[in-house]
Amino acid sequence: MKQHDPRGWLFVAPACLLLGVVGLIPLVTVINYSFFEIFTLQSRFWIGTEWFRDLITAPRFWASFGRSALFSTFVLCIQIPLGIALALCIPRGRIWAGAALAVLSLPLLVPWNMIPALWLSLMNDDTGILGQWLVGYGWPAAWKDSAVLTWVVILAMDTWHWTSLVVILAYSALTTIPDPLYQAAAIDGARPWQVFRHIQLPRLQHVLLMAVLLRFMDSFMIYTEAFPINAGGPAEASLFLAVDLGEEIKAFNYGPSAARSVLYFLIVLSVAWVFTKVQAKLDDPNPGVP
Amino acid sequence: MIPRRAWPVIKLALLGAFILFTSLPLVQMTVLSFTATLAQDGLSLGETTLRNYRAIWADPSLRAAFGNSVAYVLINIAITIPVALPAAFAFARLSFLGDKHLFFSFIAFRITPPVVLTLPIFQLFSVLGIVNSVTGIALAHCLFNLPVSIWILQGFIAAVPREMDETAFLDGYSRPRYIWKILLPQIAPGIAVTAFFCFMFSWVEVVFARILTTTNGKPISMALGAMFGFQTDIGMVMAFTLTSMLPGALLLFAMRNHLSRGFKVGRV
Repeated sequence: MKQHDPRGWLFVAPACLLLGVVGLIPLVTVINYSFFEIFTLQSRFWIGTEWFRDLITAPRFWASFGRSALFSTFVLCIQIPLGIALALCIPRGRIWAGAALAVLSLPLLVPWNMIPALWLSLMNDDTGILGQWLVGYGWPAAWKDSAVLTWVVILAMDTWHWTSLVVILAYSALTTIPDPLYQAAAIDGARPWQVFRHIQLPRLQHVLLMAVLLRFMDSFMIYTEAFPINAGGPAEASLFLAVDLGEEIKAFNYGPSAARSVLYFLIVLSVAWVFTKVQAKLDDPNPGVP
Repeated sequence: MIPRRAWPVIKLALLGAFILFTSLPLVQMTVLSFTATLAQDGLSLGETTLRNYRAIWADPSLRAAFGNSVAYVLINIAITIPVALPAAFAFARLSFLGDKHLFFSFIAFRITPPVVLTLPIFQLFSVLGIVNSVTGIALAHCLFNLPVSIWILQGFIAAVPREMDETAFLDGYSRPRYIWKILLPQIAPGIAVTAFFCFMFSWVEVVFARILTTTNGKPISMALGAMFGFQTDIGMVMAFTLTSMLPGALLLFAMRNHLSRGFKVGRV
């Protein structure tokens, strides 16, 4: 059991202070702005919830909301199982495991604004390694005209960029399983699937929950990487939630961008709330008993 | 049913296939970085050359960008770790009123998209006078690095046997002195891993880096962005991208055996 001690707050105080300055104060500012029509920061008018009403009645908002939700669903359905599978595939030996993890993590080191540039070069039908090869198999050179193919490229790019994070998290959980458990399973003649279901998966739960949370939020609010691939096209088919916010901020539209920010933060909060509920359920030793 | 002996082969094949997929864009980048992509200096298009790398070395603004990136990452780590360490200790060892809620609100800041807070952070930092400086970026990046650091460090601290605390307290150590003298050497690899992840998430970040450096203190990602224009020398862009990845790659290989040790406990 952890020791009960209210002095714990003293230890977290510096962290609260720092996050208060770089997180909470800006957040409160944004919430404040979202109720104003702002011409300059000196002349502004209270307009209540008008920005919010404009926002949630706009079909454009709900369309991009739907696209982002669908994108995140794809991302989770691809990257979480793939990440677990790869973590299970990583060889047991210390040398090879380290080398495999390091190589897989290389994409995390590419500056985010270069990731679309890398993929556009790769998919170039003239000079790109993958582009040239794919065109030989009937991949159209004008793939940017197709909404489906644009999504395929963006999903491949995101999988390339972020799967290694899931692998690192899943692998770290797998290494905590003591060998005797595997030996017992082998003695009982367990099939690989049974080993996974009853020994490995229970150990993975907590870390996977974190991986799902991180991957969900980061893909739901994908901004820097997705837009340059096809400028949100064709016909807005790859226009995700964060793009509009980015555009409004670039134009210094304080009010509308603040309202949008608040709305997005509410999404973050509700996701975090669901996360705590799931976490509490995982921690509950005897589910169903109040 | 798949025979037992086939499993290692299948595993190796899947891993190999994904590593191939991972390396494709990186190979493309490397090839382009050694190719002349603009016809100049008497080179024709597509010729293999070292010109891109020489051009980077000769450009003082690119060298400055490299220095800026190193500077803000180091400042960020120097702020993040000392602040995260006591918090991680508290979350790993103590129970206090509201500890779970606090941890989740920290995580909520990690998953808040930076673009949501860019405008007020820009204003706040203008007032504080740290716009267009590496300090500003370093401070802004604490928003996502601090929660992640606390999370990683508390995993490492939780793995240290509790008996060690008790023995130390019996020996008359105070908590801060215990953390400094006994816990810190125990979790040294954890601190290295945390610093590495801070480096990794901070080095490649774009949104804060863009809004906070309009005239001065531009880091690598902004220098790369500025290289795109009417006539983009994509070979040089790729060469600079590759160069920017080298310090990270070195650290990554140095840390490879510790990489996956920090996330063992995913709960408070």
